[in-house]
Amino acid sequence: MRWKQFFTPVKSIDTDKARALIDENAAQAMTIIDVRQPNEYEASHIPGAKLIPLPDLGNRLAEIDPQKPTLIY
Amino acid sequence: MMAGKGFSKIYNMSGGIKAWHNNIAIGPEDLGLALFTGTESPADVLVVAYSLEDGLRDFYLSMAAKVRNPKVKDIFQKLSDIEIKHKERVFEEYLAVTGKIESVQDFEKNMVAAAVEGGLTTEEYINLFQPDFESEIDIISLAMSIEAQALDLYQRAADNTADQKSKAVLHQIAAEEAAHLSQLGRLMDDVVH
Repeated sequence: MRWKQFFTPVKSIDTDKARALIDENAAQAMTIIDVRQPNEYEASHIPGAKLIPLPDLGNRLAEIDPQKPTLIY
Repeated sequence: MMAGKGFSKIYNMSGGIKAWHNNIAIGPEDLGLALFTGTESPADVLVVAYSLEDGLRDFYLSMAAKVRNPKVKDIFQKLSDIEIKHKERVFEEYLAVTGKIESVQDFEKNMVAAAVEGGLTTEEYINLFQPDFESEIDIISLAMSIEAQALDLYQRAADNTADQKSKAVLHQIAAEEAAHLSQLGRLMDDVVH
């Protein structure tokens, strides 16, 4: 049953809060995911962000630690 | 998509990268990863990191000799001094990891010369950011860009490495780069105010 997804909140935070989240957590204690296309990632990305284009995300969830805070953009 | 798969702390950054007015990194996922193939031992990782810090220090020193503005000269000197501390820190870690008793001179014979921090050459950085070499703010911005790029490289290298000890070393260096970035941010504040 996939009802859990309806009750798990995905917070939207602004860039100031995102900056604070990155500052609060050591690099290995959180994950930053860039879900744009590779050429957009190449032009600019948040340092330390991992590129997983949105179309691939469903198949690559195993690469992300679900226990750690994950920032997505 | 993720919420139903056990991910409990997901944050969506509103506005995306366009709203992000902080440090950025550029380049494809594999930029600079020729330096870190993913099979290096922790000691190898530290040798590469030391080489990158050394390359950057050389760059800052050569720029200090070239510029005319004494304040900019002073900034380059400060940046170069910061890199000396980075190198010392990496060397200490190398001694701790290997258990070797080795002089810096002997250690430096292992250095690899390829690029400065972040996997780009100094020329590539200059072409990319085109700083005004007589402006303190432009020079600190350039240094911050290089540190952001370095943080990004170490983080990607850590992701790419299977060996858990090497991964930990790379994460630790990435965390130190983040601290360097904050240090440069404070230097920028001092110059601007």
